[in-house]
Amino acid sequence: MKILNQIVLILLYTLQVHAYKDLNNSKLLIASDRLNGSSVQNAFGSSKEVAIQATVRLLRNNKLIALGSIVHPSGYIITKASSCVGAREAETFDGEKYSLKIKKRYEETDLAIYKLDTDKNSFQVINWDLDCNTSEGSWVLAAHSNLEEIRIGVTSGLPRKIGREGGVMGVLLTTDTSKVKGVKISEVVPQAAAYRAGLQEGDIITEVDNRRVKNQDSLIKIIGKKDPGDVVRIKVSRKAEIKKFLVTLGHRSVTFDLFNRNLRMSGPVSKRKDNFEMIIQHDLPIGKESMGGPLFNLDGKCIGINIARVDRVSTYALPAYLPSKVIAPFLKEIP
Amino acid sequence: MNHFFLHTLIFFVSSLFLDADVVSEKKWFSETPQNHADLNAIQDRLRLILSEAKKSLVAIESDDGAGSGVIVSEDGLVLTAAHVIGKTGKKMKVRLPNGKSLPAVSLGGSEISDAGMLKITKKGKWPHVQIEKMNSSKVGDWCFAIGHPGGFDKERGIIVRLGRVIGKTEDTLQSDSRLLGGDSGGPLFNLNGKVIAIHSRISKEPDQNFHVPIECFHINWDFYRKGQLLTFDQLEEKGFLGVSCEATKDGLRILNIVEGSSAQKIGLQKNDILYSLDGEKLDSREELTILISGKKPSEAVTIEYHRGEKQLSLRVILGERPTE
Repeated sequence: MKILNQIVLILLYTLQVHAYKDLNNSKLLIASDRLNGSSVQNAFGSSKEVAIQATVRLLRNNKLIALGSIVHPSGYIITKASSCVGAREAETFDGEKYSLKIKKRYEETDLAIYKLDTDKNSFQVINWDLDCNTSEGSWVLAAHSNLEEIRIGVTSGLPRKIGREGGVMGVLLTTDTSKVKGVKISEVVPQAAAYRAGLQEGDIITEVDNRRVKNQDSLIKIIGKKDPGDVVRIKVSRKAEIKKFLVTLGHRSVTFDLFNRNLRMSGPVSKRKDNFEMIIQHDLPIGKESMGGPLFNLDGKCIGINIARVDRVSTYALPAYLPSKVIAPFLKEIP
Repeated sequence: MNHFFLHTLIFFVSSLFLDADVVSEKKWFSETPQNHADLNAIQDRLRLILSEAKKSLVAIESDDGAGSGVIVSEDGLVLTAAHVIGKTGKKMKVRLPNGKSLPAVSLGGSEISDAGMLKITKKGKWPHVQIEKMNSSKVGDWCFAIGHPGGFDKERGIIVRLGRVIGKTEDTLQSDSRLLGGDSGGPLFNLNGKVIAIHSRISKEPDQNFHVPIECFHINWDFYRKGQLLTFDQLEEKGFLGVSCEATKDGLRILNIVEGSSAQKIGLQKNDILYSLDGEKLDSREELTILISGKKPSEAVTIEYHRGEKQLSLRVILGERPTE
C-alpha cells in the first residue's frame, strides 16, 4: 500500500505553477510588512534575540548542513543526527567559529549531542517550555539559517506519532496480476535502488529473500518491514529467463522525489522524516539545513527541536518534553 | 443592595463600551503588529475562528485527483477551483473533516479566473461559512489558508497557514499563506472568519501564492450556479471583440485593441469606457469575456460606452479569435 499511496499522490490537483512572479500591480504590500518581513519580526522583540543567540550553524567543508540548539552554557548543543554526519565546525550569531566534537547519538529521536571546543561558559541556552502549550494556530518562530533574522509561522495540523516508512525499491507495480505468477514492474524510478541493481520495466518479481511473492500486497509487506540501506535478494523472470539481483533499499522521500510534483515544488526535504514518537507541525519557511535548530513560542521559550522538513508547507518538530528527557541523563554528567 | 446593583450596572455598561472600542479598532485585522500584545491579539483571533472555519472545509475527490473546497450554504454549495472540477455535471465525492464521504456534482466556473462550484447532492444541513462581501478584502489584511495539502489525512488533520494579503487585482489575490498541491480549491479566510478567496496556483517563492478573489464568484454567481463553465477551448470557437480592459468604477477601460479585430474596425479607441453589452452592465473583464463568448463569430452585439464626456452606443459584428 505504501508504494501505491505514493502513486496516488502524483494525481493530486497540483496547483498550476505560475511563470510570472508577483502580481503586476503597484499596490503590493511592502516586503517589511509581510508575514516574514522585518517589521513583523521586530514585533517579537526579545524572543527574536533569544532565537538567534541560542542557535548555532553547523558546517562541513564551510557549507551549512544543519542548525543546532544550545542546551548548556559551556557549549553543548543538540541537533538532528542524520543531517550532521561529518559536521566539523560550529558558528554562532556573533560570527565566532568553534571546532566540534560529537558526544552522543540517539537513533530513535534522530538527535545528537555535540560540544563546541572552547572554555567559554556563557552561551545563551534555550529555555524549554515543557507544558508545550502549542494549540493549533499558535505563533512559532525559529532563527533563519543566517542567524540574523527569524522566520515566523503558526502550528498547524495535529500533534501526532509519525510511523516508520520502511525502505523502498523504487518501482511501480501493475495492478493487473491475473496473467502473471508474481508481480510485474510497470516502471522503474530512474537512479533509485532497483534501477541501480539492474531491474527493468516488465520484469516479473517472483521471490524476495527466497520467499514467493504472489501479489502486490505480499511484496509490499516484505519490503516494508525492511529499512533503507538493507539489502534484499530479488528473483525475477525476464522473458524466459530467471534472473537474480541484490537491491539495496532506498529512502522513500529520496526515491520518489522525481515522481512527486509536490516534492519538486517544495525544494530539498529531509532524508529522514519518519518514525518519530511524537511531533508538532508548523509552516515556517525554512530549509532542510535549518533542521536541528530550536523552535520557539511568542515568549521565547523553546517548544521543540525542528527535526524534519517535509514539504513546502510542513515542518516537523520534536515537542520539548522529548529531547529534554532524552538528553537529561547526559547533561547531569557534565561537571 | 441598591448601591451594589448600581455599581455592577455601571461596571457592566462601561465594560461594554470597552469591548466596543476594541472591536472597532480591529488592530488585528489588517495592521502590522508592533509588539507582543498585537501579536497575541492576532493569535487569539485566529484560534477563536479556526475551529468553525475548519468545519466547512471539504476534500474533493474524483477518479483523476484530489483537491479542497469550502461549503458556503446550508444545502451544500461548495466553492472550489475550476481546475479541481474540470467539467460540469461530473460526479464527484466530497469528504468532511470527520472523514465522512458525500456524493456531489460539479456545477460551473471559469478557467480564466479558476473559480469553480459544486454541490453536495445528498440532502442535509451542512456546516458552512459566510463569504465576504464585494470589494471588502484589501492588501494588508491578515488571512489564513486551510486545506488538505497532499490529500486528505485524518491523523494529520487540516493544515492552517497564516499570512497577509500582499496583492489584489480584479481576478487574482496574492498572499504569503503558503500552499501546496491538494490545497487547490480550499478557502482563504480573513480574521472575521469570512472567505475572501479560493486557492488557485503557486510560484517558486514562498510568498507567491495565488488565489481567486471572492469577487469573481459574486459577479458570475448565477452563471456558475447554473452549471456554466467558461473554458479556454470554448473561447477559441466563440465570438471575439478584440479589446483588453481594466475594471474601473465606471466600467471597463480599454487598454489595448487587437490589430484587425472587430473592435478596431468599428472604431473603438484606447481609454474608451465600456459601460454595457446588450443591456448588461459590465463590472469585470470576466463578465465581458463570458458575454462575448456566449456569441458566435458574425453575431452582433450592442455596446454602450463613454468617450470622455460623450455617451455613445454602437452595434458591432463579432469576429474570430486570431490563432497564434
